[in-house]
Amino acid sequence: MPGDLIIILDKVSVYQNENLILANVSLTISRSEFAYLIGRTGTGKSSLMKTLYAELPVRTGTAGVAGFDLRKIRRHEIPFLRRKLGIVFQDFQLLMDRTINENLQFVMHATGWKDSILMTKRLQEVLAKVGLQTKGNKMPHQLSGGEQQRVAIARALVNDPEIILADEPTGNLDPESSEGIISLLMDISKTGRAVLMATHNYAMFEKYPARTLKCEYGKVIPMD
Amino acid sequence: MKNSDQSYQKRRLATSYVTTIISITMVLFMLGLLGMLVLHAKNLSDYVKENIGFSIIIKEGVKEADILELQKKLDKEEYVKTTEYITRERAAREFSEELGEDFVGFLGYNPLLPSIELRLHASYANPDSIRLIEERLIAYPGVKEVDYHKPLVDEINQNVERISLVILGISLILLIIAIALINNTIRLSVYSKRFLIRSMQLVGGTQKFIQKPFLAKAIVNGFFSSIIAIGLLLLVLYFATNEMPELLDFQDLELFGILFALVIFLGIMISWISTYFAIRKYIRMKTDSLYS
Repeated sequence: MPGDLIIILDKVSVYQNENLILANVSLTISRSEFAYLIGRTGTGKSSLMKTLYAELPVRTGTAGVAGFDLRKIRRHEIPFLRRKLGIVFQDFQLLMDRTINENLQFVMHATGWKDSILMTKRLQEVLAKVGLQTKGNKMPHQLSGGEQQRVAIARALVNDPEIILADEPTGNLDPESSEGIISLLMDISKTGRAVLMATHNYAMFEKYPARTLKCEYGKVIPMD
Repeated sequence: MKNSDQSYQKRRLATSYVTTIISITMVLFMLGLLGMLVLHAKNLSDYVKENIGFSIIIKEGVKEADILELQKKLDKEEYVKTTEYITRERAAREFSEELGEDFVGFLGYNPLLPSIELRLHASYANPDSIRLIEERLIAYPGVKEVDYHKPLVDEINQNVERISLVILGISLILLIIAIALINNTIRLSVYSKRFLIRSMQLVGGTQKFIQKPFLAKAIVNGFFSSIIAIGLLLLVLYFATNEMPELLDFQDLELFGILFALVIFLGIMISWISTYFAIRKYIRMKTDSLYS
C-alpha cells in the first residue's frame, strides 16, 4: 500500500447477499484526510462502510484497508482489522447489558489494555470529548438516542485508531452537538487519521467543507 | 432510581442464570439417581441372593455335639456366609407360632428334626453352584436332606440379569436426553445474547476474547448445578438408608465418591462444551441470519 493511502478500493463491487449494491467502486483515502460520504438512503453508504470493516465480503476488484487485503482476509484476522478502525455504527452497537464505562472498558480489554489507572484516564478523556463525563455509570438504555450515539463515538475514539468510519454519527443529535462532533472528527483527521463519514446533514458541509463522495445509481462518484 | 434500575437489571440476569442452573441440576440429579441405582443394583441383587433360605436337615438321633461340629465345618466353607443351628425345640416353637396351635401337645411328641440354616455368598447363589453345593452337603455324615426353593433361585438369577440390562439401557437413553436438554438450555441462553455477541465482534473482539466470560460462567454454572444435584442425591441416599440400612456399607463410599466426581465432571463438561459451540455458531453466523 503506497505511503499515505490508508484506504484503497479498486473496481470493488459491493454485494448484500446476492444483490449488487455498488459496482466498480474505486476510491482512495489518505491519512489526515476527512471525507464525507453522501447519498440518499438505500444507495449503499452503509454497505460500503460494512465492506470497509469486513462485514461484507469483497468478491471482485482489490481492496486494502489499514494494511489488510480485504480479498484475502481470514475470519480470525477480522478482529485485528477492526481494532485499527474506529467505527461509529448507525445503530450504535452498544453492549446493552453493561454500563457506559464497561462498554468502553470492553473494547480496551479486547485490545490489550491492562493498566486500570491508564484505562480510567483514557475513558474519562474520551467521554469528556463527547460531553458525557458524568454518564459513565449509566446503562445504555438509560441514555437518550443522542447520548447513546455519543457513547458510540467515544468508543470509536478510545483506541486512537488510524481510520474512523462514522455511519451517520450525527443522525440523532441536535445541530449544536452535531457541529461539536464534526469539528471533533475534523480535528482528529488533522492528527494523521483518516475519517470517512456518511451523512445526510447537508448543512454541515457548507460549514465544514471537505472532500465529498456521493453514492448514486449503484456508483460512488466524487463531487466537487 | 438509578440504583434500583441497576439492581433490577442484575436481578433479571441472575434469574436467567438460575433457570439454567436449575435445568442442569435437574438433569444431573436424574443421572446421578440412576447412577446410584446401578451401583445399588449389585447390592440389591446380592441382598436378595444372600437371603435365599437353605436348610440342612439333620438325621434323627445325631448328637448335638456332632451337629455343632458340622456347623463349624460348614462355617469354614468358602461358599457359606452364615450358619444358624436350629434345635428341635426351636423348630417346634417357631412352627407352632406359625400354625397358631400347639401341635407338640396335640401329637404328644415333637416330629421335627434339628437343622442348620445356611446363607450363601451371592456369587455362589446360582443354579449350577447350588447343585454342586447340595451334593457336597449331602455327603456330610448326619445330613438327611438339603432343602431350598429351587424355582426361586432360578427366578432371582434371571430377573437380576434382566433388570441390570434394563437399567443399563435406561442410563444410556437418559444420558443422551441429559446432554440434549442441557445443550438446548444453554443454546437458548446464548441465543438471547446473539446481538450482544455481534456487537462485541463489531468492535474488534476476537472469538477467544468474546467466549472467555461466557465459558467461565458456564463452568461456574455447571459446577454449582452438580453441587446442588449431589446435595439432592445425598438427601435421597439419607432417606433411603433410613428405610433400608443394608443399602450402604463402607466399601460403597469410594464408589459414591467416584459417582459424585462423575456428576461434577459431566456438569462442567456438558455446560462448557455446549456453550463453546453455541457461541461459536453465533460468532460465525452472518448478521442477516441473526434476525431470522
